[in-house]
Amino acid sequence: MKLLINGKQVTVDVPDDTPLLWVIREEVGLTGTKFGCGKALCGACTVHVDGKPKRSCVTAVSSVQDKPITTIEGLEATDGTLHPVQAAWVEENVPQCGFCQSGQIMAAVALLAKKGKTVTDEDIDAAMSGNICRCGTYPRIRKAIKRAANAMEEPK
Amino acid sequence: MSLDRRTFLQLAALSSGGLLLGITPGCANPQQVRMEDIAGASGRFSPNVFLTITPDDRVFLAMNKSEMGQGVMTGAAAMIAEELEVPLEKIEPFHTAKNEFRTSVGEAAIETSAGMQITGGSSSTPENWVPMRTAGACAREMLVLAAAKTWGVSASECTAKAGAVIHTDGRKLTYGELSKTAASIPLVENPKLKKPGEFNLIGSRVTRTDAFDKVTGRAVFGADVRLEDLHNAYVIHPPTMGAQASSFDAVEAKKMTGVLDVFAFERGVAVVAKKYWQARAAAATVKVEWSGGLLNGLNSDAMMRDQIKQLEESGTHTLEAEGDVDDALERDDVTVVDVVFDAPFLAHAPMETQNAIVWVREDDVRVWTPNQSPTIIAEGVARVVGVDMSDVKVETPMLGGGFGRKAAPDFACEAAMIAKRVDKPVRVIWTREYDTQAGYYRPQAVARMRGAIDKRGNVLAYSYHGVSQSIFRDMSSMMGAMYPEWIPTIGKRLMVRAGVGFLETGSFADFLATEGVTKIPYAIPNVRVEYTPVKTSLPVMFWRSVGHSFNGFMKEVFMDELAIAAKKDPYTFRRDLIKDSPRDLAVLNKVAEMSNWGEPVEDGWGRGIAVHKSFGTYVAEVVEAGIVDGRIKVRKVWCAVDCGIAINPDVVHAQMEGGIVFGLSAAIDQKIELKDGVVQQGNFDSYPMIRMFESPKIEVAIVNSGEDPTGVGEPGLPPVAPALSNALYQATGVRLRSMPMQDAWDKEGAK
Repeated sequence: MKLLINGKQVTVDVPDDTPLLWVIREEVGLTGTKFGCGKALCGACTVHVDGKPKRSCVTAVSSVQDKPITTIEGLEATDGTLHPVQAAWVEENVPQCGFCQSGQIMAAVALLAKKGKTVTDEDIDAAMSGNICRCGTYPRIRKAIKRAANAMEEPK
Repeated sequence: MSLDRRTFLQLAALSSGGLLLGITPGCANPQQVRMEDIAGASGRFSPNVFLTITPDDRVFLAMNKSEMGQGVMTGAAAMIAEELEVPLEKIEPFHTAKNEFRTSVGEAAIETSAGMQITGGSSSTPENWVPMRTAGACAREMLVLAAAKTWGVSASECTAKAGAVIHTDGRKLTYGELSKTAASIPLVENPKLKKPGEFNLIGSRVTRTDAFDKVTGRAVFGADVRLEDLHNAYVIHPPTMGAQASSFDAVEAKKMTGVLDVFAFERGVAVVAKKYWQARAAAATVKVEWSGGLLNGLNSDAMMRDQIKQLEESGTHTLEAEGDVDDALERDDVTVVDVVFDAPFLAHAPMETQNAIVWVREDDVRVWTPNQSPTIIAEGVARVVGVDMSDVKVETPMLGGGFGRKAAPDFACEAAMIAKRVDKPVRVIWTREYDTQAGYYRPQAVARMRGAIDKRGNVLAYSYHGVSQSIFRDMSSMMGAMYPEWIPTIGKRLMVRAGVGFLETGSFADFLATEGVTKIPYAIPNVRVEYTPVKTSLPVMFWRSVGHSFNGFMKEVFMDELAIAAKKDPYTFRRDLIKDSPRDLAVLNKVAEMSNWGEPVEDGWGRGIAVHKSFGTYVAEVVEAGIVDGRIKVRKVWCAVDCGIAINPDVVHAQMEGGIVFGLSAAIDQKIELKDGVVQQGNFDSYPMIRMFESPKIEVAIVNSGEDPTGVGEPGLPPVAPALSNALYQATGVRLRSMPMQDAWDKEGAK
């Protein structure tokens, strides 16, 4: 089975129904994507498939063959520059334990790709409520999303 | 508390010939890589257990505390950097391995908490306040002496700044360049510490040392540790705690790809495979028959009824007695408030489910597990494997949350039971469902509170009788029951040591079950606090803020009820009663000012206030809440905190925010129920968390008393539930005395 992860093609030999999460973690060796619930209830395993957020713990690997998949490891620029959302996360000191943050960031990146600088509190509520943070970093996630949105506004 | 002389001397020995034992090949745990870097650096300078400076100018901080999100690494790094005179970014903190950092006398000197390595009780910052700064200052003074010796000048002509020593004539040597010479300088035992007015880093907002790794996916949590030939075991756990697999059918599973073995053991049926998903997929085909169990069909509802019934009697223990409560309650000129509160069992539910890798080789047992106490883990695993505790090496990757749960050793013991039978490193990762169902809960607690108010509104009496399971008393016997191969006295000794440790650090000034309702700051002449312990076989455990998590709720809702009965404003009523407790008063006044207390709130919404001291930190909160379409809705929370000197104000804010959100999840929705010995909750659908759309706006202010720092991981939590109940009373006129409050509202308020 061929997968396109973070711009690289990889070949894996696993049963069709293996969840994408475990393929990413165990076969591809990218461990930034986390197992939190296994039932698409917490969002810790969020990755992008075709640019859209997807819960990899309930996504059969066979359903995403040859579709571009992005994980947290794929957000940084090739020169190591952080994605504006990651940079905003650092600026706002968002992470506490950090376990949910890969999923939170992937959800936020997808939200901002859609809404950009026009993102509202209601958009954030709608897009981010599938991602649980047990440490309670929600107020900072909200601030960081707005900070990243503002950064996107600046001319390049 | 100071870093004792013996510790310093032992670590002086480390720098000149101490041991760093056994680095495992092929391990990608950065904690271990850092230790490898240290071990490989000749000419390194390690003046004490915490600090190592290598010739290439790296500064390593060996952490005695687990980073589980509360910011201890950043805090300790700031304390070290402040005195060492290096930029914070230069410090590389890492979790120290149990039994790998040893002094030449063979003792692991990192055990700073009364002989243990443990993280809990919001004790890390106060415990490290003197030792970390002393460690940094000691190193700085020795580096200055090393430079003076190199240059043949007086030390008074040399200054340490930004990772280098500079002579008055402009000559400069970096700490790395000085490390080898510094290691030969006699130990400086009593270095001069900065006064609070001289701090540059302490008290400033800094970026967390772990932020970058945690936003890029680089942080290595338990399940991210890589080892050569690592295998995975999926454990099929029994439906009720302690039940044994009487038979199982694994014919199909054993044929599946990657599966190595399937066997029944003390805690269920283990399916061992190369990959986690192979094991899990194979486990789905295994059929198991269960028998027995430890809980004797426990029902939490029936237990609650029994606990409430016991409130009719006096408590078996009296923890506090002043004046004559009965006399005050029986006077005919008083109004008596007599109410009963209850709070359910709760699971910790960190985002990272419990997990551990254990590798058993002869006289060399390795453990990699996110944990709050390498000492407890080592003792538990040693017991299971049957080796000496000193033969168990415990590595601690990053913790994806802990909240008390990761101080229990059960997950590592489970992995050890499997690893004993497999000649390979084996990893166990719990499912979310089992993580919720595995016990070690916050105890289910009830209390009857009574108060008497005279005609002028003075409070004459305050009486509390609580009935709950005692955490300390229960834990040792439970360990014995759950792990029959353990020697229970060892577990008991450990827990006693832990208890002594907490008591010594002032973290738990009183018995856990009544902490927060004794020594209250309110000036009330007649006080009685009683407690009756109950026993079950269901393990209970420290859960973020422990006894304060329910006692804060009970005490502060009760104070609100007294205020209402006295026809007084809930804020001024409290203010007048705590006027002799300045730190309580300061946070209470501050939160009233922040929230503009007393301003009108629109119909359907109300504001509630609460003030509570826990773990030495004073917190007052105001909650604005209402009921929207039958659902409790919290709009805004104001919080004022006095934790003494705030090492990193931003971390203090973050911990208050986190404690509030964590506390709201429990206050509104969470409960663990047992029916016939079976836990009814499992994944996040049945054990819900506050999510983004329900997360209120939170405003935090730090009240700086200038006192020595106290912890902030837990104290933000206790005031939020009572402030919420008090707000809902203002909004609806319905008094909720039971958690979770959404259940209470559905029962009481929706009428």
